[in-house]
Amino acid sequence: MLSPNIVKELTHIVGKENIQTSKEDLICYSYDATNQKFLPDAVLFPKNADEISLSLKLANKEGFPVVPRGAGSGFSGGSLPVEGGVVVSLERMNKILKIDTDNLTAVVEPGVITGEFQWAVEDLGLFYPPDPSSLKFCTIGGNVAECAGGPRAIKYGVTRDYVMGLEVVLPTGEIINTGTQTIKGVVGYDLTKLMVGSEGTLGIVTKIILKLLPLPEATKTMLAAFPNMRDAAKTVSKIISSKIIPSTLEFMDKNSVSCVEGYSKTGLSTDMEALLLIEVDGDSGLIEKQAETIKKVCLDYGAKEVRIAKDKREAKELWQIRRAISPSLAKLKPNKINEDIVVPRSKIPDAIIGIREISKRYKLINANFGHAGDGNIHVNIMIDKADKDEAAMADEAVREIFKLVLDIGGTISGEHGIGMTKMPYVGMELSKTTIDVMKKIKQVLDPKGILNPGKIFPQV
Amino acid sequence: MKTLEQFSQEINKCVLCGTCRSVCPTFGVVQREPASARGKVALCSAFLHNEISLSEGFIKQMNECVQCMACHKACPNDVNVPDIILAARAEIAKEKGLPLAKSFILKNILDSERIMPIAMKFISKLQGLLFKGVPEESGLHRRFPLPLIDERRVVPPLAEKFFLEVRSQGPASAGFKQGSEVRSKKNTLQPRVGFFAGCLINYMLPNIGEASLKVLEKAGASVIAPLDQLCCGMPALGMGDVETAKSLALKNLEVFEQYELDYITTACSTCGDGLKRRFKELLSDEGDDIQKRVEIFAGKVRDITELLVNELEFKDLNAPISDSGLLTPNSIVTYHDPCHLRRGQGIADEPRELIEMSGAKLKEMEHPCRCCGLGGSFNITNYEFSMAINRSKAEDIKNTGADIVATACPGCMIQIKDGLHQLGADTKVVHVIELLAFHLASPLTGED
Repeated sequence: MLSPNIVKELTHIVGKENIQTSKEDLICYSYDATNQKFLPDAVLFPKNADEISLSLKLANKEGFPVVPRGAGSGFSGGSLPVEGGVVVSLERMNKILKIDTDNLTAVVEPGVITGEFQWAVEDLGLFYPPDPSSLKFCTIGGNVAECAGGPRAIKYGVTRDYVMGLEVVLPTGEIINTGTQTIKGVVGYDLTKLMVGSEGTLGIVTKIILKLLPLPEATKTMLAAFPNMRDAAKTVSKIISSKIIPSTLEFMDKNSVSCVEGYSKTGLSTDMEALLLIEVDGDSGLIEKQAETIKKVCLDYGAKEVRIAKDKREAKELWQIRRAISPSLAKLKPNKINEDIVVPRSKIPDAIIGIREISKRYKLINANFGHAGDGNIHVNIMIDKADKDEAAMADEAVREIFKLVLDIGGTISGEHGIGMTKMPYVGMELSKTTIDVMKKIKQVLDPKGILNPGKIFPQV
Repeated sequence: MKTLEQFSQEINKCVLCGTCRSVCPTFGVVQREPASARGKVALCSAFLHNEISLSEGFIKQMNECVQCMACHKACPNDVNVPDIILAARAEIAKEKGLPLAKSFILKNILDSERIMPIAMKFISKLQGLLFKGVPEESGLHRRFPLPLIDERRVVPPLAEKFFLEVRSQGPASAGFKQGSEVRSKKNTLQPRVGFFAGCLINYMLPNIGEASLKVLEKAGASVIAPLDQLCCGMPALGMGDVETAKSLALKNLEVFEQYELDYITTACSTCGDGLKRRFKELLSDEGDDIQKRVEIFAGKVRDITELLVNELEFKDLNAPISDSGLLTPNSIVTYHDPCHLRRGQGIADEPRELIEMSGAKLKEMEHPCRCCGLGGSFNITNYEFSMAINRSKAEDIKNTGADIVATACPGCMIQIKDGLHQLGADTKVVHVIELLAFHLASPLTGED
């Protein structure tokens, strides 16, 4: 609980309209897409870095937790106030400050919706590639905090690759600028990269300098259906080894697709074991050729059917299937254990077969889909939490899956972050020394441990 | 009707992913979570788990929803948030009661086929004293502060002669005798269509009713508008007054059952959605007999655009396309999809086909299915909020450069007209059916 005095001081900082303490408001800021709830004591809606700075200084003085939040659409609990305290909602800081068409950069506030930013730069013939499935509602600030990726990562990389510089309020309240507005820049340590993906534990980002690209002239989208899952997984590396890097190469298994309303509308057979959603972009002449090559590779390696979208509307329909998977899995079982492992591309068949085998052994329903092109698979184990045995089995299975992934040279999280949901497994991937280095960095920047506590590092 | 408690499974289906934040119009304006569909579901869940009571904050959030159904349509888990919110409103009305004025109007005026027209007539006579005309507009501004009426607002005047009133005095519609007289048996092959006027068309925009009859008859239907029909009850349901909505559903059912009708049609999207879908829900705990009857009734209901295109197969206006006045072959018309037609009834192509049949050029606006912000009585209780939602709609319309914006719902028309007026745009607002009627016999008068 915050004392009335603290609430009074916070009110003084952000104004009466921009602090909420009613139970109804607290409930609405208690959750994210992990579907878990932790009630904060207050919600702040600051309008600039100065207000955040003052709030953090007060938090250090009084010792209450502060948790930054964008749209609350994260999958690892990064924005959950697990120890209560103050949620700093960045919803009001939602302006695109500058789009520089000469230097191909932009400056945005953290609350800008990723998709809205993409449309704004596309109107100017420019391109911001990171495209998490939640792009229509997630914020760029949240993308920076979690280092969000998306289907286009295979060709264009992830959020980290587009963040050139930041304005950050440190946990102790000082405001710093990191990085440059130029492509090159080596003065001092790369604090920008340190901040990106730090899950709101090292600072609150208040301005973001982003790199832009010219918008590709055209895109071509296609869907390939495979009666055999292993064939689909193999085809992924065959496409790349045919010297084409698609802008998207997504994998979906049968269980994933079965939940999506509207799949049947595509007219594709429903008894397929796996689907690949493939997109190429660039010069319109070139992509026609590439699409044909990819179609041939798919058919050669066991696809029964390949559908190339005729127009934007058809492409949108194919994408809709992919985007709708994640939330619609709840139809299988009420609770989802959602992992986003990554393996080297060539190991995808091993990973998927291994994961299936593990799920089968533990008698669990599992749905796999994701960005196969970059080796990032979303492994979803569907359970009913009320069934304690099943929940315990799932924990065991996750541990085994992670072991498998690490054994074949992968990592346990590609783009969702650790937050609180993957905390127990961090030690499987990182050595004690590595974790200690990270903790020391945290300690230097946040000596009182007030910023987003209870995240990333296993609690002892 | 399902209670909020009975919606708990539906509420649990929400995994809190946040997709609805990208389409929810109230969230779009407020930009804070409690305004979003996800926030409202979380609040209903908290209420069912006894974490909060029917507090002022809870009630405020439940009232601040325009029932546009965009969240339901976008939801990957198909969570019916609008119906959850309606159930919450019913819970609030049951536990807390409705505000006195609302309750009086709903129970004593709306729910009476005798008193409603008399009350409206009284207001119609009085409106000159309360409001002054807006130059160049068929709307009114208030003369002095009035409860519930914002000073900026352009209120459509009540008609001098109500639609059903004219019907009762004028010559009978083709194929039917005047008034509520019952016809015993079919003596014509013409499809027999009952016209459900709805309050807005009856009391404010009777021209749409006249236009509808004209076009339906041209399309070969034999039409009757029963004089004792009542409000469809959707305003009551929207406020949580399930009992009044139920009583109205039952009375309307009985009124229309007196005629051997092939179809029942309306030119109001909200009434249509109510007649098709809500009547069944409202009467679901009545006896088998009533349920069977309401099933038959609902099966006959068609929106007027749907009836004309799909059932009457009205393909050709068969009249000279006028080249002067409101509508010429050079007129550019943009179309607004009413929420209760597009998402409520899944009708999108039919009104567009009819616009093209009228000879005009259809030019789509950027977001034709975005809500106009009316939200029934939301527009009265939250006028500024409602107009803030409307702003993007008005700008969308203006940006098309269209001469006319057509839609298929009188509620949307009133709201859009107000929004365009405040934006200083002179785009004409019409019902799709008026575009067709324009070419048939006498040109439109009054409502521009």
